[in-house]
Amino acid sequence: MIQFEDVGFSYRGREGATTAVADVSLHVPRGATVAFVGPSGCGKSTLLRLVAGLLRATSGVVTVDGRPVHAPLKNVGMAFQNPVLLPWRTVLGNVLLPFEILEAHRGGGASERRAWQERAQDLLRTVGLRGLADKHPRQLSGGMRQRVSLCRALVHEPELLLLDEPFAALDAFTREEMWELHQTLRQTREFTGVLVTHDLREAVVLADTIYVMSTNPGRIAHVHPVTLPFPRRLADCESEPATALIHAMREEIRRAH
Amino acid sequence: MRRETLRALGLPTAAFVAVLVAWEAVVALFGIQQIVLPRPTAVAVTMVQMAGPIAFHARHTLVTTLLGFGAAVGLGLLLGFAIGASVIVHEALYPLLVGFNSIPKAAVVPLLVMWFGIGTMPAVLTAFLLAFFPVAVNVALGLATLEAELRDVLRALGASRWQIFVKVGVPRTMPMFFASLKVAISSAFVGSVISETVASNAGIGYLMAVAASDFNTRLAFAGLFVLAAMGVILYGIFAAVERRITAWAYTD
Repeated sequence: MIQFEDVGFSYRGREGATTAVADVSLHVPRGATVAFVGPSGCGKSTLLRLVAGLLRATSGVVTVDGRPVHAPLKNVGMAFQNPVLLPWRTVLGNVLLPFEILEAHRGGGASERRAWQERAQDLLRTVGLRGLADKHPRQLSGGMRQRVSLCRALVHEPELLLLDEPFAALDAFTREEMWELHQTLRQTREFTGVLVTHDLREAVVLADTIYVMSTNPGRIAHVHPVTLPFPRRLADCESEPATALIHAMREEIRRAH
Repeated sequence: MRRETLRALGLPTAAFVAVLVAWEAVVALFGIQQIVLPRPTAVAVTMVQMAGPIAFHARHTLVTTLLGFGAAVGLGLLLGFAIGASVIVHEALYPLLVGFNSIPKAAVVPLLVMWFGIGTMPAVLTAFLLAFFPVAVNVALGLATLEAELRDVLRALGASRWQIFVKVGVPRTMPMFFASLKVAISSAFVGSVISETVASNAGIGYLMAVAASDFNTRLAFAGLFVLAAMGVILYGIFAAVERRITAWAYTD
C-alpha cells in the first residue's frame, strides 16, 4: 500500500539547506498500522506529510497504491495532537467537514448527505459521544474533542489514516481509552495507518511494525515487528515480551540522540 | 444577569453624575467665568435651546462617518483577505500599510481639501483613511493564523485553496473582523470630526469650530457632549453586534 524507496527530504531554511530525512525505505501492507518513534526532530512528522503528499520527496520515490505521490492525496484521514476543530460548528458539523470537501468532486445530493449524517452519528456513538452531536467544541473536554477529531478523520472511510501524536495531550487514563477505541475501529473498518508518537507503549499497542528513528538527518535506525495478537489489551503491553521491547527501544532512542 | 447589567450601567452612570456635580460645584465655588468653563447645567440649557442645529450637524457627522466606515470595511476586507491569503501580497503590501498608518491623518486633510474642496468629501475620506487599517490588519491576521494542522487535514482531503478559504478561512476570521469594526467605527468618527473641524461647513466638528471662534464655550461643550454620546453609542452598537454574531469565539 505505502512504499518508500530511498526517500529523502531536504529544505532550505534560515541556516541553509537542512536534510530532515534520508534513505528511508519501507513498505506498509494494506490494512497494517506502522508507528514511527524517535527523539524530537527525527523527521517523524515529515514522513507522515510525505505519505499524504503534503510534502514532496526531494530524493527517492513515495508510492501509495502503486502510484507515485506528486500532489496531496485525496481521501486521507489525518488527526493531530491539537484537535483543530472548527469552533463555530457543532460536533456533527465538524465531523461532516470532509463530506463538504469531497462532495465538490464526487457529487452528492440530499440522500448522500443523509447517508453521511447517519455514518457520522454511528461513528460518534462508537467513540462514546452519543447525544453530543449538537454541542459545540468549547462545551467538550479535551478527550472528547480528540474523539471528534478522530471521527472527522474517519467519517469518509479513508484508506489511509495518518495520526501525528494524536493522544499526546490527553491524560493517561483517556489515552488508554483512545487506544482501545483505535482497536475497535480497526476491527470494524479496514484502513492503513501511520502513527507518529513519543509514547513507546502506545506504539506497542497500536502498531504492527515500529520504526525507531535517529536524528540528523532522520533515518530508520531499527525495525521491530510487534507480534502480539489483535485486539491488544493494556495487560498485553505489560507482558514480558512487550516490556522487553519497550526497554530495548528506549535504549535505542537514547543512543540515537 | 439582571443584577450584573444594572451594575454595569449603574456604576458608570453614577460616576458620570458625580463628575458633573463636582464640576458644577467647582465652577460656582470659585466663581469661574462662563466663557472659560461653563456650568454643566448651562451647557444642558444650550443643548436644549440649540437642539435643532445640533441635531442637523450630528446627523451630518453621522452620515459622513458611516460613509467613510462603509468604504473602509469594504476595502479593508478585500485588502485583508488578499494579504492574509497570499504570502507574496503580504510581503509586498504589509510594510506599506504599516508605513501609511503611521502618517497622522490630520496631515492629509489639507491635501484632500485641495483636491475636493471644503465639504463632505474630505471628511468621508479622512474617516475612511483612519478606519480601513484596523479592518485590513485584523482580517489578514485572522487568515494568516490558520492552524497548519487544520490546513493539512483539509489538503489531505483534496481541498482546493478556495475551499479552505471559504470553509475555514473566512468563518474563523469573523471574530477578528467584528472586533475590528468597533475600533474602525471609532476611528472613522474621529476622522470625520477632525476634517469637519478644519474644512467643512456642516457637522459637529464644524459647529464646534464656529462656536470656538465666537467664544461660545457653552456651545463648544454641548458639541463635545454630543460627540461623546455618539461615539459611545456607535461603539456600543458594534460591540453588541460582535458579541451576537461571534458568540462561539467566547468560551463559557
